[in-house]
Amino acid sequence: MGIVSLLDAPETTPNTPQVKNRRTRVIAVIMALVGLFTVFIFGFGSVSKAKSSLTFDPINLANAPIKLGSLTMPVRWTDIVLGLLMIALGAEVFIRRPRRAVMLRFGIVAILFLLALLFWAARSPGPSVISSVNLTSILVGSSATVMVLVFGSLSGVMCERSGVVNIAIEGQFIGGAFLGSMIASTTNNFFYAAIGGLVIGGLIGLLLAFFSLRYQSDQIIVGIVLVTMLGSLSSYLNLEIFTPFPNFNTGNIAPNLPIPLLSKIPILGPVFFNQSGFFYVMIILVALVSFALFKTRYGLHVRAVGEHPRAAATVGISVVRVRYINVVLGGAIAGLGGVGFMATQGQFQVGYTSGLGYIALAALIFGRWRPSGAVVASVIFGLSVYLSYDLVTYQFPVSIYILQTFPYLITIAVVAGLIGRVRAPAADGQPYIRD
Amino acid sequence: MSDHDVSPRHAWWSRFTSSSPTVVTAYAFILGLVVGVVIIATTTPAVLDAWRGIFHGWDGLPHALNITFNNVGAAYRDMFTGSVVDPQGFWHSLTTGKGWPNTLTPLSETLTYATPLIIVSIGVGIAFQTGLFNIGANGQAVIGGIAGTAFGSMLHMPTIIHLPLTLLMGIAGGMLVGAVPGLLKAYTGAHEVIVTLMFNYVTYSVLLFMVLSTPFQQPGQANDIGRTLDPSAILAPLFGTTSGLRISYGIFVAAIVVVFAWWLLDRSSLGFDFRITGANPSAARASGINAKRVIVLAFLISGGLAGLAGVVQVASTTHYIDGGFLIGSAGIGFTAITVALLGRNRPMGIVWAALLFAALGVGGRNMQSLTGIPLDLATVIQSAIVLFVATPVLVKEIFKLRHVTTNSLQLATTGWGS
Repeated sequence: MGIVSLLDAPETTPNTPQVKNRRTRVIAVIMALVGLFTVFIFGFGSVSKAKSSLTFDPINLANAPIKLGSLTMPVRWTDIVLGLLMIALGAEVFIRRPRRAVMLRFGIVAILFLLALLFWAARSPGPSVISSVNLTSILVGSSATVMVLVFGSLSGVMCERSGVVNIAIEGQFIGGAFLGSMIASTTNNFFYAAIGGLVIGGLIGLLLAFFSLRYQSDQIIVGIVLVTMLGSLSSYLNLEIFTPFPNFNTGNIAPNLPIPLLSKIPILGPVFFNQSGFFYVMIILVALVSFALFKTRYGLHVRAVGEHPRAAATVGISVVRVRYINVVLGGAIAGLGGVGFMATQGQFQVGYTSGLGYIALAALIFGRWRPSGAVVASVIFGLSVYLSYDLVTYQFPVSIYILQTFPYLITIAVVAGLIGRVRAPAADGQPYIRD
Repeated sequence: MSDHDVSPRHAWWSRFTSSSPTVVTAYAFILGLVVGVVIIATTTPAVLDAWRGIFHGWDGLPHALNITFNNVGAAYRDMFTGSVVDPQGFWHSLTTGKGWPNTLTPLSETLTYATPLIIVSIGVGIAFQTGLFNIGANGQAVIGGIAGTAFGSMLHMPTIIHLPLTLLMGIAGGMLVGAVPGLLKAYTGAHEVIVTLMFNYVTYSVLLFMVLSTPFQQPGQANDIGRTLDPSAILAPLFGTTSGLRISYGIFVAAIVVVFAWWLLDRSSLGFDFRITGANPSAARASGINAKRVIVLAFLISGGLAGLAGVVQVASTTHYIDGGFLIGSAGIGFTAITVALLGRNRPMGIVWAALLFAALGVGGRNMQSLTGIPLDLATVIQSAIVLFVATPVLVKEIFKLRHVTTNSLQLATTGWGS
């Protein structure tokens, strides 16, 4: 009983409510400003006759029995409406100052803004050659990035809910991608590659757990060192193995496994039901981790260990054991994510995860250490990462590098308390010393 | 806090079995080299072939051991000769008086690499001593480098003002970036690790944006290359450009930084506040130290030094910035964390650690060109060393060291749990 009430407590931790409210208003103002920007720059800034068409059919029409036509959108009015929606959401947050789901509202504003940006970039009398926005192909294209981010942030949820900071997500991605490519190339079987990813990720997790639980080393330092080590080790092995023997690193893209009937649904079909096995595993994992964390006895133990290890130990929970299990499982999930990433890219390349592990960490924080929140954050961040590259094809006038800062700046705003309130598990990252 | 052996007299060798920080660090270095040996032995085809021989009979064993020793020995020898001195060349120069530039090149390269590393690591070390974890040194150095290079390439003035102002602009750029996590930590409680980690990527995007857009990009260039520093804004080679030795006046900048850090930490009242805050935040608060001021100032100094390192890096080596500036195999900011830990956050310790890591990096390049073993091995060894240094208990267990001091490396941070 003690633990249950302890876990319920955090939502009402003593924190001066006035300060929080003021910060909520800051983000409300930002939301409204984004809306105003959309109305005036994208809306009134484009010629009134500018149009862009919104299409929904997948690129590969073979799998789409139902064809949807394209919608021709007047860019000016569409973007003005989208901008007004953002302003409305901002105003709602400003006036009502809701206690929950501020981040969700902010996420909606972010997605609306990205949509408005796309319409504006693809306006027909304009600099862009392409005058249509294909919603389906954008969603399908970004789903690979989103998937990797979900794997990474789920790994973070597993580790950090039990009180161990896992900064080594990036390292587990690298390890999984490397070994996964090797196994997939030699066996031509992605199931074995996935197993390999789970094992290597779990081993890196075990290393992190070993140093931070047995020796109480600084988890952040161990995590950073592991990322550095895996990065340079993969580069070393790449030169020693993959360069002389390219057969170990051949193009392998995981085949799509369309689910009968469901994959024919317009838009939803290609996005959710015509994906590689990794995508379905990801969806199952999200449900599994959510259920395990919040509905099972073990999940209660995990959260207790993450919030107040001493109290948990008092009622007979083995803090170290719970943490070991979670960090290894979390590492395995991230390793699997690395294989999934490799399976969308075809082969291993040095440094091609380029900070995705840290964006996953950001998604974890933005998602408030919850699996569901992590998924929402991964979708927003994944979309923005994908679009920053995709917008190049539209001759977008602003450097893609400015757009790429978006996930990071948002995360900084989140930890600074601008967007709602985040609170890490109380014992997150603090070494536990047995009495 | 004493590093001294307080137990009664022991035989002279007892110092090698005690767990003083120096001894632990030395053993960690040895363990790091062992990790390197394992990696070389398990990935070099020739060595693997030789070991395959022992499945055909025990007489293959001496051969296998021989091959292993040869390969590992060659790798570490090339690392040494490429970063410190080649004994043969040294003897040749000494006896004939010729070829000194060639003989001194390895040392000069190591010092050239160590110079910015010392500066940025001292910045990270000062933050550590204040109990702050500055993972963002890389980003601060990048912005410092950009700010300094922009000033040193777009404005023209005589050296006597141009060079100092260029360096100052680097400091200012780093301070600007360092101020963000400091202010956010002090006034909103945002964890500095998250903020600095994210800012690394923000600054990297800024770098790519800068080197590809008009005012800063090298005129007439389509690639990601920035403007070149004016000759009046560079840190010139110490022995002149004709010597071929790259070691520059930057080492004096590094020396000034070392003295400054020593003065700050050991002699100034601000440094005292820093260290008290790092050692015991509640005691610091109880004694009336303004925690917010300490946090912001520590981050300003840390960021400023990182920015200075960035501009020193540009001004003493390439004189321009490209899209891969300071990224390298791990990024100077990340290496700096490991150097600061290895040097136990003390200025002189950091100097030694930076020299060691620079030597590993420079020597790794020589090893790669002579034996074909990839340079990344050096980074793997570096990270292994730090892993062991951050875990002194493990080193003590492996070498069965006597426990003499409670002063193992005290960990700098706790995670972002409240």
